[in-house]
Amino acid sequence: MSSVKLEQIRKDFGSTSIIKGVDLEIPHGEFAVFVGPSGCGKSTLLRMVAGLETPTSGNIFLGERRINDVPAKNRNVSMVFQSYALYPHMTVERNMGFGLMIAKTAPDMIRSKVEAAAKILGLDKLLTRLPRELSGGQRQRVAMGRAMVRNPEVFLFDEPLSNLDAKLRVQMRTEIRALHQRLGTTSIYVTHDQVEAMTMADRIVVLRDGLVEQIGSPTELYDRPVNTFVAAFIGSPSMNLLPGTVTSGAIAFGEGSRLALGGQQRAQDGDKLTIGVRPEDFRVVQAGAPGSLAAEVKVTEFTGADTQLVCTANGQEVIVVLHQRVSAQVGDKLGLIVEGESMHLFDTASGKRLG
Amino acid sequence: MKKLLDKFLFAVMVLMVVAPAVSVFLWMLSLSLKNEVDTLAYPPALIPSAPTLDNFIAVFNGGPFFSYFLNSVIVSGAATLIAIAVGVPAGYGITRMKARKMLLTIMIARMTPAISFLIPLFTVFQAIGLTGTLAPIIVTHMVITLPITVYIVAGYFETLPRELEEAATMDGCSVWQSFRHVALPLARPGIMVAAILAFIFSWNNFVFGAVLAGRETRTLPVAIYNVLTFEQIAWGPLAAAALLVTLPVLILTLFIQKEIVGGLTAGGVKGS
Amino acid sequence: MSNLNSPADQPPRSLLARLLPSRLSPYVWFIVPALVVLMAIIIFPWGFTLWMSLFDWKIGSAATFIGLGNYADLVHDTRFLEAIFHTLYFTALAVILPLIFGTFAALIFNHKFPLRGLLRGMFLLPMMATPVAISLVWTMMFHPQQGVLNYLLSLVGIAPSEWVYSSALAIPCLVLVDVWQWSPLVMLIVLGGLASLPSDPFEAARLEGASTWQVFRHITFPMVLPFIMVAAVVRLIDALKTFDTIYVITQGGPGTASETINLYLYLQAFSFYQIGKASAVVVVFFVLVVALSLMLFWLRERSKWSDA
Repeated sequence: MSSVKLEQIRKDFGSTSIIKGVDLEIPHGEFAVFVGPSGCGKSTLLRMVAGLETPTSGNIFLGERRINDVPAKNRNVSMVFQSYALYPHMTVERNMGFGLMIAKTAPDMIRSKVEAAAKILGLDKLLTRLPRELSGGQRQRVAMGRAMVRNPEVFLFDEPLSNLDAKLRVQMRTEIRALHQRLGTTSIYVTHDQVEAMTMADRIVVLRDGLVEQIGSPTELYDRPVNTFVAAFIGSPSMNLLPGTVTSGAIAFGEGSRLALGGQQRAQDGDKLTIGVRPEDFRVVQAGAPGSLAAEVKVTEFTGADTQLVCTANGQEVIVVLHQRVSAQVGDKLGLIVEGESMHLFDTASGKRLG
Repeated sequence: MKKLLDKFLFAVMVLMVVAPAVSVFLWMLSLSLKNEVDTLAYPPALIPSAPTLDNFIAVFNGGPFFSYFLNSVIVSGAATLIAIAVGVPAGYGITRMKARKMLLTIMIARMTPAISFLIPLFTVFQAIGLTGTLAPIIVTHMVITLPITVYIVAGYFETLPRELEEAATMDGCSVWQSFRHVALPLARPGIMVAAILAFIFSWNNFVFGAVLAGRETRTLPVAIYNVLTFEQIAWGPLAAAALLVTLPVLILTLFIQKEIVGGLTAGGVKGS
Repeated sequence: MSNLNSPADQPPRSLLARLLPSRLSPYVWFIVPALVVLMAIIIFPWGFTLWMSLFDWKIGSAATFIGLGNYADLVHDTRFLEAIFHTLYFTALAVILPLIFGTFAALIFNHKFPLRGLLRGMFLLPMMATPVAISLVWTMMFHPQQGVLNYLLSLVGIAPSEWVYSSALAIPCLVLVDVWQWSPLVMLIVLGGLASLPSDPFEAARLEGASTWQVFRHITFPMVLPFIMVAAVVRLIDALKTFDTIYVITQGGPGTASETINLYLYLQAFSFYQIGKASAVVVVFFVLVVALSLMLFWLRERSKWSDA
């Protein structure tokens, strides 16, 4: 019904290629998050679905309909802008009802729809205010109300929470999620914040340099990142990536530092591999214990629930997160071990996951 | 103590700057209120000994002043209205199309002395035989009103965030609807400023009327120029006439002086 | 990232837009009416002027094609050459002096003081007032016997002057009027620039112990110079075009002492009705304006301290 499909989408601006070939499909009702570093093309993709940009080549489908040639105003798709883009000279009520008015909806219909949406979003007392009289969070909600009221087939969000302070951001995340559960509309949400992606998405699309790196549920991306980029991008603090060479069943990082490889890893001696270990997957043992990585504590951070240790091992920075109180001091020497299943192996040259 | 001295010096400097500007107008007022005796008196005094409104009465009686006033109103009003009707969408279109070439045409218009347009236009109007009406004067005044309208209005539209219009597009607006419901209301202050400035500069214009107008179709600046004689010193009525001609403009200026400070500087710094 | 209507690459098109050849932006309709008017009142007259300049044409008689004959005549026309000299003399003074006074005024108005808004508004009046009206008042002020200016001179013990009745003083007197009238415009432009300057450099300088004059000389002035240059270009173009004031106060006299190119042009066209010759003058004048403006533009580029 209102699924979105991108087929071989390419986008060039002059001689620069922003989107280099993207294929993806978002089924009806899914909350998909496009995430990636600045310049990866996520906003451009979103705007192409909106109709504000045209693909240089490729097809966009809304349901069964190919919408490449349908102008933005006719696509029945709503967008929430990063800066909200509320009409400064209109009241909240007129802002929300504007699209319906353009569509020549009857005034009573407009009023009832606006009031219904306002109620859901907690805006019913603010209908006569102007945007400049509202707080950031309120403006955000008006922007969403404006998008909701037309009952579009797809919601598009372009980094809507970037301009809010941290606390408000967390609150709005939950609200948007709740709204989605209530309305069930297919949604595409663009952000550079992987925490937002992880907490809000049904599925995440990780983009880099105009290409899709991986598509999957948050769990899939977390547990089985498909390359070092996704591995380091998803998860905070980032996954530790330690390049080394395979020597007799373990990975050697030089100067005798080695970590035992788990049994199921089938790697050849001499292979250059990068180990990925999430900070919380380390176990701390005595320095020098067999099969452990020698590390020295540089900084300790105590977050209340966890202890975070920033260590150096073999000249590299390694972050360890322990879900308990540990009395580690700066300068302490420890050994780090990883359980086999928690170890991710990547080919150092290509960055791709092995096994 | 030094602070007081500084403040005093500053006040003196302010006075030095503003006084010359204002004093000419005060003198104009003074001359217009003087009867013949005061006018010829030496030394000339700022405050007339016997202020009188006779000069103003003489202006109204001496010629069809109201008719000239009306001519000016019609000419400048029409030239401004047409400039707005045509120039506001143009200013919008230029910023959205990033059409710098139009602005170049406007620059050329600004660089050319007004008389240059008069010569061909005058020739054409003569050939068509329209020289007796206000129409050619209105058309020529558009040389003044249109460029400045487009320039100022374009500046205002430039500051409109594109996201607002994208939101309007997503809300289903066509290009025209987006202009009408979003861009236009938000540019209203700019349009007002442009209109007032265009009106003022059109009102002040002398040369177009001087060439194109006949007896009945003169605008005010032309009319009062013809009052000037060098033999007699009929200064009272002359000063009164001058005051009456420029008073509307002065009032309009004080009205929008804040916007002028904003509007002209934006155009001045950005463009020429 | 928003390029809603970049020329070769647009979103899919609405009905109105499809009425046009597909390469044209839908915004073209917004410009068309203005374009029509501009063609009629600016572009066409310009073309016509260029064409007329190639003819020997007096209104009422037939036109004879003489190619560049008018231009050749101008080269030998002493009156025209003198007019050029008068114009440059007038313009040089009418650009530099308002720049000085206007900048000074801008510095003053950049400070906050009570009644600043009102006083600034009053300072603006000269440039907005009807030039003809103002010029008439100045004419009365310049009058050697009854004019107030000579009276003021006598108060400070200076002998009365002939003002505009003297060939040598005619142009300086006109410059005086021009300075009075247009310093406010310079003030506006420079003030806009001053207001946009970041305050940090000034605060840093003060902390380092700079005196007011030093702050002005080493920080304010260089930073405000680009804006002064903008004002200079604006003044240059306006000063070259000055007509009303000169026409009303001196009519280009005494004799031809204050006859600028503009006055000469008016004479040729509307007193002698030699529109062929006048058109040639227009072209030459335009070239002069453009040349001088380009020179100032170049100077302005060199004075910029930021990418503003």
